[in-house]
Amino acid sequence: MSEFPAGAAGVIPELALRVSETLARLHQARGVTVGCSAKRAIFRCGKTTLYEYLPLATAAPPPCREPLLVCFALVNRPYVLDLQPDRSLVRRLLEAGLRVYLIDWGDPDDAERRMDLTDYVEGHLGACVQHVRQAHGGAALNLLGVCQGGVLALCYAALHPDDIARLITLTTPVDFHAGENLLARWVRGLDTALLAACGNVPGEVLNALFLALMPLRLTQEKYVRLLTGRPDQRAVEDFVRMERWIFDSPPQAAAALAEFVRMFYQQNALVRGTALIGGRRVDLGQLRQPLLNLYALDDHIVPPEACAALQDLVGSRDYTECAIRTGHIGMYVSRAAREVIPRRIVSWLQERR
Amino acid sequence: METPFSGTGYRPEEAYAAAAQRFFELLQSLSPGAPAAANAGRDWSQFAGPLAAQYEQWLRMSQSAGPWFSAAPGAAFAAGPAAAFGPLPLGPAAVQGAEQQRVWELLARLGQLQAQLAAHWGEIARSAAQRFVARAGPPLASPTLEQTLKLYELWVSCAEEAYAATARGDDFSRLQSELANVSAALLVEQRRHAESLVRAFGLPTRNEVDALYAHIKDLSRRLEELAGGAPSPAASRAPRPQAAKPRRRARGAAKPRRRT
Repeated sequence: MSEFPAGAAGVIPELALRVSETLARLHQARGVTVGCSAKRAIFRCGKTTLYEYLPLATAAPPPCREPLLVCFALVNRPYVLDLQPDRSLVRRLLEAGLRVYLIDWGDPDDAERRMDLTDYVEGHLGACVQHVRQAHGGAALNLLGVCQGGVLALCYAALHPDDIARLITLTTPVDFHAGENLLARWVRGLDTALLAACGNVPGEVLNALFLALMPLRLTQEKYVRLLTGRPDQRAVEDFVRMERWIFDSPPQAAAALAEFVRMFYQQNALVRGTALIGGRRVDLGQLRQPLLNLYALDDHIVPPEACAALQDLVGSRDYTECAIRTGHIGMYVSRAAREVIPRRIVSWLQERR
Repeated sequence: METPFSGTGYRPEEAYAAAAQRFFELLQSLSPGAPAAANAGRDWSQFAGPLAAQYEQWLRMSQSAGPWFSAAPGAAFAAGPAAAFGPLPLGPAAVQGAEQQRVWELLARLGQLQAQLAAHWGEIARSAAQRFVARAGPPLASPTLEQTLKLYELWVSCAEEAYAATARGDDFSRLQSELANVSAALLVEQRRHAESLVRAFGLPTRNEVDALYAHIKDLSRRLEELAGGAPSPAASRAPRPQAAKPRRRARGAAKPRRRT
């Protein structure tokens, strides 16, 4: 696409030229690839795949003995953590000598629409935890939960505290009613039984929901800023990779999504201590292992207050938090986050080896 | 209304081009040659009406049915109640008796909710334009490129502030939930009708397949348990013995906290 709307050139020719140039670059960038670190699938459980990232030959001495298992959100793909060499949390952790494992939940099909949070937490996450533990002599591991995956990680760690040596949460909501949580307001009146009866929810529906939180900025201004900003080809390719991730959302198992909305968004069950997984109450007070809580201060999806609430609920006396001035997506790819987050995780683990 | 963000696939090049088009339309409406500028005085008030109208139209087109509905495969509902009934070649008229009545009621309710949402779009657009006029300062006769971009950024900020102010409100939030509920109810009705058709043709229904799937899952779990092999994910769902709980730290009691 190299044309601009008729009449626009007459308004401001230079802007029109910039837009035209960037559109041409965007066209060239269509074939960019995502993902950069070598990994291999070591375990499968339904649609869930457990990956092991291959250690780097040039890695530093390991900061700790335990491997790190990354539990990503159900609503997005985990490759954002390893998007490209200079934007890869995974790559930085491998360089620091950590053994890194990652859970990819895959795409649930219609036969799996009744999969609920117990299936995900006790079934799939639990099986992955046990698999990694067995591969490392049975010792407890370090667990990194990202966004919604952090909620699953908190639930698992609270129910099985002996499996988890140290817990790290990244942009993880805990108090779903704290701060300006637009999502929580919008879904408060949702009939979750009806939602579950509808079958799996396409990823596009959730994307549309996220875009509707700030529609003009996320569907217009973001592009205008790129189109008029004279980006070079590399910046355009970075942008396209990120766009691909944002709009590449897996479908959601109906029962699990409905349960997540009801239990966390509507009932705020982590704070009230009423969350039930497999019939057992999730008591965050059971979390006594060292805890690192990383979150964004300008997050429009998970308000910082929602993350910071964790401190008052856990039983751990070794609680550290790190707030970064960026947005939700910025926590994965912004320059500040790219530098601070891996460094913070590694130094925190080193201090507790 | 199809947008690059609706339907079953995001179309990036369309999104870029559409954003560029909207951007230039906005610049045109704010340029000295725009119709509103003919009577412009020393502020932007003459532009408020056209700006608001343009933004309202965009909101209507892109957000008319709320995120729940516009992105769903059956978005044809939004085009009109009598339009195609989702992905199946079944219209409301094909549904019989009480079910038909229920579908018409739901479609009528959907129309009401969309009308209520439309009232919010107007309110948001007017508020955005007012904020912009109040903060934009005097119009420049020949703004530089940077000044133009700053003006655009200001407009976006005003528009988002106005949107957020309404979107956080109870009425708007209730509407979002209701839209989702009505959309879901329509989908359930559609499925119910499809099930009756499938049954009439002697084919297994969704519910029957689900029951079979659950049965197979349960049998697999029991088989693995009997074989004494590694516990399957389903088996590992069984509650584990829980260690005695240490006493909770009293709320508000001192706890070391590190913050970096």
